[in-house]
Amino acid sequence: MKPDDDEILLKISGFSVTAVTVAAQLSAVLSEARNISLEAMNARALVARAGDNVRTFRPITDYMIELASDTIRLVQEINHEALKLSRVALKRLDVAEAKRRFQHAQRLAQSASYLADMRPLVHQARQDELQQQRQLKHHLRQLTELLDEIELRMLAAHVVAATSRQEAATVEYTYKVGLEGIVNKLETAAERIRSIAHKSRSLLRNNQY
Amino acid sequence: MQTKKLYEGRGHTWYMFARDPERPQNIIDTNQYMVRAGKEAILLDPGGIELFPAMLAAIVHHIPAEHITHLFASHQDPDIISSLGLWDKTLPHAQLHAPWLWEGFLRHFGCNHIEYKAIPDEGQSLRLGGVELQFIPAHYLHSSGNFHVYDPVAKILMSGDVGAALLPEANTPLFVENFQEHTQYMRGFHQRWMPSNRAKDDWIRRVRTLDIEYLAPQHGSIFQGDDVKRFLDWFEALEVGTGVKGN
Repeated sequence: MKPDDDEILLKISGFSVTAVTVAAQLSAVLSEARNISLEAMNARALVARAGDNVRTFRPITDYMIELASDTIRLVQEINHEALKLSRVALKRLDVAEAKRRFQHAQRLAQSASYLADMRPLVHQARQDELQQQRQLKHHLRQLTELLDEIELRMLAAHVVAATSRQEAATVEYTYKVGLEGIVNKLETAAERIRSIAHKSRSLLRNNQY
Repeated sequence: MQTKKLYEGRGHTWYMFARDPERPQNIIDTNQYMVRAGKEAILLDPGGIELFPAMLAAIVHHIPAEHITHLFASHQDPDIISSLGLWDKTLPHAQLHAPWLWEGFLRHFGCNHIEYKAIPDEGQSLRLGGVELQFIPAHYLHSSGNFHVYDPVAKILMSGDVGAALLPEANTPLFVENFQEHTQYMRGFHQRWMPSNRAKDDWIRRVRTLDIEYLAPQHGSIFQGDDVKRFLDWFEALEVGTGVKGN
């Protein structure tokens, strides 16, 4: 086998491990998304209890709930796409390995009576490899776009948190502490999601071949 | 890869493929067999994934790849059939004959196109061209679902791991040259890999009724003529299942 074949296979293998790792990392994001949803519900309950004392907070909680449900949906999509990418990456490795072995057989069979039989096999192996490479690129692009989107959402969550904090500062002390606690938890969950999404995106970008 | 014609008759030919010089040192050496009858052929224990390029290259020296219509796996071990995923791409219309017991396990090697023909415990026959090959039960020798292949016309018994020998690199004849000397390379293998004296005795009783000129194992050298009887006697006297030390 040529050394560059070895190198390519190692890179493909490395990427398939990355894809699986990213899928595993991103699965943790779902629980953070559920935390956002929980805090949004807490905020709504607190606002309902406080009545007119926190009137200005109501639209913010509505937005928090919408953001939470969007985040859960997006995170589920991301998890699904990350798993798909890891599967396609492993399949990509499989077809690369098959192509290598068919090409090796073709080299060994140079003087064989039925050498011509090898050509369609090698050709098919190349076609399979091209097709899997296209699939891999497609799913990688899909996942990267979803990760971009979730990062943007989490930036929006930061803005909501900042606005909420300002509003919380104006309400009665009894409710202020509760609302600030909710806002802090929302911010922490959003930051965790943003950080994991960012790390996943970097990992995928740095391990492409 | 060395190729040896074991038998050439009017209707069919037996080939042995062995001693691949490209085989990495830390991989056990294996013998593969092919029976060709007209435009049909069967590969018997086609080998591990590492061996696939050399096997395919060796085959197309003799027959077009599409003439391989059947594969046979005596049992589930990787040196027997871990190449299945690649054969599946090469021969999508072929059939794999293997123990029913191992179907769900063997499919882990990749069997998306090839049709899995499960061999029942009692064995069965396959017509290949005009030739009848018999899948003879050899359960617990060593695998719990295990078959050998007997050809009554060529008088060949492909005996899987029974008769196997772990030969030193410097001395790897295709046929047993000196039976007594050869036993040193078989003893440890059979004592440890074969788990059941009862299964061994039952197999010997059945095999003694067959007319065998060649006993062809998956590792080591082939027994020919009187060495077949010598082997059966030797195996009968051997205590197996020695991995268990307690009472």
